[in-house]
This record gives sequence, structure tokens and C-alpha cells, in this order.
Amino acid sequence: MGDILSLISHHGYALVALAVFLEAIGVPVPAALALLAAGTASAVGKLRLGLVFASTVPAMVTGDALLFTLGRYTGWTLLGLLCRISVNPETCILRSAESFYRRGKMTLVLAKFIPGINTMAPPLAGSMNMRPFQFLRLDAAGAILYISAYVTAGFVFSGFFEIFARGIKNAGRAVEWAVLVGLLGYVAYRLRLYWKHRMYRVVPRATVGEVKRKLDEGSDIVLADVRSHGYYDSGASRIHGSIRLEPNTLAESVKTLPKDKEIYLYCT
Amino acid sequence: MREATSARVAHWMREQGYDARVIVGGLRAWERSGYQVETVPADDLVQLPKFN
Repeated sequence: MGDILSLISHHGYALVALAVFLEAIGVPVPAALALLAAGTASAVGKLRLGLVFASTVPAMVTGDALLFTLGRYTGWTLLGLLCRISVNPETCILRSAESFYRRGKMTLVLAKFIPGINTMAPPLAGSMNMRPFQFLRLDAAGAILYISAYVTAGFVFSGFFEIFARGIKNAGRAVEWAVLVGLLGYVAYRLRLYWKHRMYRVVPRATVGEVKRKLDEGSDIVLADVRSHGYYDSGASRIHGSIRLEPNTLAESVKTLPKDKEIYLYCT
Repeated sequence: MREATSARVAHWMREQGYDARVIVGGLRAWERSGYQVETVPADDLVQLPKFN
């Protein structure tokens, strides 16, 4: 916080606006922390509160509008990309869309406060054909609410944050340990994923050439498409002659499949 | 991990007694090889909600 406060004081509005813009387009930067620091810098006279809003609100809305436009023109492709980093990519798009639709357009106003949804909301609105002016109105309201909350907190509690910043400086060793524990936790998580995926390696695999040869020879095989993402846009393609196997309802979907035939599965 | 979904589904199906296998490279490898594809039939498309 101390370093951030010093950076904000020196580089001012552009830096906070950049942090807000980057966060809006999905880059994991601590924009909330930058806004808190901007509020504190305003309280001690380093920045002007009005200019903080004048630089950050347009930056956030611009970033959101960019994702909204991409969502609108790429259909579900952008969401598919964003969903790949989720815990369950197959259900991510469908659940996000249904939740967004069910909870209504006002979700956009509060989306900034919900990690994960904050980046997904603008492309979702675009993909779901929300009218651009309606989007801009709701998104601007959300941006003002989000920025106000953090800047005001930084402004009102400026004394507390300065004490907090000094505390962090004094507790440098503790911070180093916290970072180390975090890194170890991340390595453990990656190892767990590695072991989890390792058991999938025993599944037999075939190249596209081998499968094509079997088809040409007239072998009685089944080709099954297990993508979810490819099924949201009209005009999506799949391997000729393949069937759909919905990965979210597997137990039901496989009931009609024969157990005495080779079944070749594919995704994207 | 490449073929993550198909490998996971194939692993589960094999546990259920199916002779499931994975196509290496998936749809992209198939298309790159110039093999035949088809448009997903309208009945199979998942309809998502739209605001308009």
C-alpha cells in the first residue's frame, strides 16, 4: 500500500486509470487497491477527487465496452476463452448466461464487486444482444458505484491506510513469508492438477489419420463430440457423421451408446 | 491439458464399460487435415437466453 500510494502520488491519474482499464478487460491487477490509494492521495491533497473520477470512470467503461463489443461480434467464442480458466469450463458458459439472464440486467450494476462476474458480465451482455445504450447506462452506473466505494473508503480512512502502510513496511518479513506460503500453495495446486490429469493419460488415443482410415475401411465405430462450447453458435461445425454427447449430462447421454463398439471422443 | 474434456469423459466411460478413446488434437486436428465436417444440426444447438 505504501509503494502504491507513493506511485499514485507521483504518476497520478494515468496510473489509476490504467489499473482500472486493465482490470476491466480481465488483466489481474489490483485496481481496487489503486482506487483506495487514489482516495487516500486525494485526502492528503496529492490528487484531486474530481479528476480521479473523471479519469477512472471513462477508463472502466471503455474497457467494459471493449469486451461488450467483442462479446457481441464473436458470439460465444470470447466467453469460451474466458471460461477455459474456470474450474468447470463445460458448464461455465451455460451457467453464467442463465444466471445473468435470471438475475436481470441490474447484475451489471453490481457485477464489479463480484470476482469472476466482473469480467464476464460485459461480454455476456454483448453475446445476449443487450442494446448498446442500455449497456452503457447500466455499466456506467456500476463503474461509478464501484469507483465511489473504493475512492471514498480511501478518502475517509486515509489515516488508517497510512498506518496500515507503515505496518506493512515494518512487517516486511511476515509479508515475505506470506508470499512464500502463497507460492508453495500454488505449486501444490498445480501438482494436484498434474496427478489428477495423469490418470487420464491411460485412456487410449488415436490420431485423426487412424480414425479416418477406420471410417474409410467401413469399421463400425462411433464418433462423439463432447464439446459444449461449439454448440452455442449457429453455423458451428463438427466431424461429419459424429453424434453429440453432452458432457454435463453424461450418465443420461451414454445410455443409448453401444458397449461393443469403439467410441472416439473429441473436443475442440 | 490438451483434450481435457474428451480425456475426462473417456476415462469415465471406460469405467462404465464403454470402449471409449480420444481423438488426438480434436476437431481442430480433423479440420487441419482437410477431412469432412458438417454443420451442427439446428436441433442439437443449445439455445441460450437473449435480451432482445
